[in-house]
Amino acid sequence: MNTHTYLRAYVAGIFLPTLVLPLLLTFVLIRLVYEVPIPVEQMLIFPMAVVPLLWGFWNMLWLCSYAHLHQPIGLHGAVLPLLLMPMGATLASSLGVLAIGSHGVVWFGVCSVPYTLIAPMFLAALAGYYLVWKYIVGFLNRVLGIA
Amino acid sequence: MSTHDEERVKELLRQALKPVEAAPEPSRDLWPAVLQRLGAGPVQVPWFDWALLAGLVGLGAFFPASIPVFLYYL
Repeated sequence: MNTHTYLRAYVAGIFLPTLVLPLLLTFVLIRLVYEVPIPVEQMLIFPMAVVPLLWGFWNMLWLCSYAHLHQPIGLHGAVLPLLLMPMGATLASSLGVLAIGSHGVVWFGVCSVPYTLIAPMFLAALAGYYLVWKYIVGFLNRVLGIA
Repeated sequence: MSTHDEERVKELLRQALKPVEAAPEPSRDLWPAVLQRLGAGPVQVPWFDWALLAGLVGLGAFFPASIPVFLYYL
């Protein structure tokens, strides 16, 4: 089973983000059915289009570089928020999903995050990505025979 | 077929077919690794990972507004 290893790495990478997609689609359905005046579609561009793609390519990059660097997959995954968070914040800000206020940022018009919590949340994102990549993506890589 | 032809055929066969080597031996004894693999239990999660998970759960519990933000990046 040594063929198409990068394709399998991509599939293993996008597995978890695509599992979240049906959950996100329910928000779209709620908006359409109940005519909620919140532009949910603009919020979903990043998690539905960008995140799965980057996860897949990030796992392919891990496979490509592992022969030279031997980096643990958990640490490799923990680096991804350094790329994702600025991209997501920039896109969210340009689409009006993220508003920057005097005391903090407001996500989706309702979730207010004080500036003092941004650093802990960033560290929590690193920790979460470390755990998810170590245990879930690592497991999928072993199942698909690429780790 | 003359003797010359037979020799020629033998020579061609020797060139076409590589000699069979003796069965290659592994460089080390693999049986201990097999026993270790068979006896391996479920995955051991280190305390550090439990601590990270507890921190994440704590952040979500004390600051629920962080959950949709995390979902946005997943």
